[in-house]
Amino acid sequence: MTEMELSTTKAAKKTRAERLSTIRQIWPWFFLVLMVIVFAIISKTKNNVTFISYRSVQGILVYATQILLIGLAETIIIISGNGGVDLSVHYTLGIAAVISAFIMRAMYAANLPPALTIAAGFSGGILFTIIPGWVNGTLVAKVKVPPFISTLGMGYVMYGVALLISRGQAISDQPNYLGQIGNGNLLYYWPKHGFSWLKIPAAATQADLQHIIPLVPNVVAITLVVTILIWFILAKTQFGQHIYAIGGNIQASIRSGIPVASTLTRAYTLAAVLAGIAGVIWTSRFTSGASNAGEPTLLFAIAAVVIGGTSMFGGEGRVIGTVIGALIIATIQYGLVVLGQQPYWQYVTVGVVVIIAVIVDQLGRKMEHS
Amino acid sequence: MKKSQVSMEPLLRAVNLTKRFGGLVAVENVSFDVRPGEVIGLVGDNGAGKSTFIKMISGVYQPDDGEIYFDGKKVSFIDPRDARDLGIETIYQDLALAENLDVGSNIFLGREMKKRFISEKLSRIIISSAFALPLAALLAWLGLQFYKIPGLVLGLLFGLASGFVLGWLFGSVTQIVDRKTMMGESTKALKRLDIEIPSLTQQVRNLSGGQRQSVAIARSIYWNAKVMIMDEPTAALGVSEQRKVLSLVRTLADHGVPVIIISHNMQDVFAVADRIVILRRGRKVGEEVSAETTPDKIVSLMVGAETVHKMGVIPQALESNGGVAGA
Repeated sequence: MTEMELSTTKAAKKTRAERLSTIRQIWPWFFLVLMVIVFAIISKTKNNVTFISYRSVQGILVYATQILLIGLAETIIIISGNGGVDLSVHYTLGIAAVISAFIMRAMYAANLPPALTIAAGFSGGILFTIIPGWVNGTLVAKVKVPPFISTLGMGYVMYGVALLISRGQAISDQPNYLGQIGNGNLLYYWPKHGFSWLKIPAAATQADLQHIIPLVPNVVAITLVVTILIWFILAKTQFGQHIYAIGGNIQASIRSGIPVASTLTRAYTLAAVLAGIAGVIWTSRFTSGASNAGEPTLLFAIAAVVIGGTSMFGGEGRVIGTVIGALIIATIQYGLVVLGQQPYWQYVTVGVVVIIAVIVDQLGRKMEHS
Repeated sequence: MKKSQVSMEPLLRAVNLTKRFGGLVAVENVSFDVRPGEVIGLVGDNGAGKSTFIKMISGVYQPDDGEIYFDGKKVSFIDPRDARDLGIETIYQDLALAENLDVGSNIFLGREMKKRFISEKLSRIIISSAFALPLAALLAWLGLQFYKIPGLVLGLLFGLASGFVLGWLFGSVTQIVDRKTMMGESTKALKRLDIEIPSLTQQVRNLSGGQRQSVAIARSIYWNAKVMIMDEPTAALGVSEQRKVLSLVRTLADHGVPVIIISHNMQDVFAVADRIVILRRGRKVGEEVSAETTPDKIVSLMVGAETVHKMGVIPQALESNGGVAGA
């Protein structure tokens, strides 16, 4: 083989690898579209319900927020590699929900101003999660406990503490303005009357309500901002670059002077803070705080990450993948509700989708590297 | 091929280096000069002390006895970073590349170029205070409502503390990696060494063994390597790839960067080395100018001449077997 031939086959191989990796990244979008079409056909023919509607989109987005926030936390940890997976985030979500609800109940009972109550409750819930996150990170990075074990242990500790604070019950008796944040919208559109921010226009009567179109649910807006921040951190900053490097080759990272321990500690803390944000969102949506608030989300979140093409071996993965993974799972959940099916089917469906995702991913990788 | 202008002032001098591990003497009184522009082959059987010796001059081990001089000054290394700071770069067989990242990211691994608009320290301070001040105010006010003055103080402290933790967490958000400049610099670094890699944006995983070697070498050179140590650079490479790596080694020497190359492969050593240093059981048993010696002589020094004769092994046989001596 001459030099020329060698370099041309190399170039061909490269374009083929790139093409395959594009397919690998795009297929979840097709899958999502396909699923929406299937749901639309079934719901039209069987229940005579229009699935593709503005309301559905909004519903799916709201469903997706929690999976997405926890999914982002897992994305960071799984990219950091070396067996990294955080099994505590759903309990971290729970304790953030409990602590914020606890603070707000006390402040509401003491008749403190609403804005202050919300601010203290939200920041209290989120700030508390720094503790489990930092402990997880330190255990993994400095004490070198396998992430699987340290986060499992930390998760149970958080669950226990949340149960102790809440005495095993949901903390309700929340101010009603809390629910307005969690279930309200950033913007409302009242045809012929115009837009109004945050609140339903005061002039609207009960009869007008059905004409008012809610735009951009608050929780979706918050999640969007957080998602963009995490995308920016992973894709653009040096900290993100170091997380990928550590996930790719931790020994090389140590030798090239990357502050591995501090990067990992920050990654785990960031993951916990994301869970904390999901926790206070939960509290504001359901106007109560419960220790098991995040219980079903952990595995859905990991499923979303896997569907999004993030490698469980670390070093590879993108935020947009997790977004699409979360949307697919939320569509399944919402679609089953619209079809009037038993919600338990969601587990079966998500399980099948995850397995398909992994098969497609592995086939793609094998072809790329052959 | 060998036409290096060897100047007489040694850049790196190891004098009587000795390393013991418990009762075992791994390296005993080995001295060694490296001059600018020369390639030195370091050969020896397994357990001859090659790695231990290399690890002493690259700062991994501290010698029990002896001195190291770099550029005429006596130096001692606490850890590998000290040696690297001086420009003594070691490329191990695993190359220390992150295979999931592209070529540019690997050349700048751990030393990424950043878009300069704010330093990390300043950004941490700004973000810390942006969080800390409102939080402290809020918590202090709350503390005052519920617990009077102690509450105020506690609230203030908690607020400030959590603000600073958030600064630690998010302070690096302003440190944006400048991929474009990194790519440009990498292209230049590779071009300077005549290294051809089809696309710098692809993952290192998709490169051939020789190309990966080249990336690792280019990285060291970019970061100002003054002495290169390479551990079995041609192991696990195909024949044409081996040739490319060896010619890259010569290119380095011609650029004035001396290379110490550890190898089992006599052909490789004779193809690139100006001088060959032979270790046996922790001692230096020979130092030969490669133009004035033969592979047979080197092999007999490596295994000990008397052993060769006793076992009746014909050195030529070793050489024709792909030159692998001492597997």
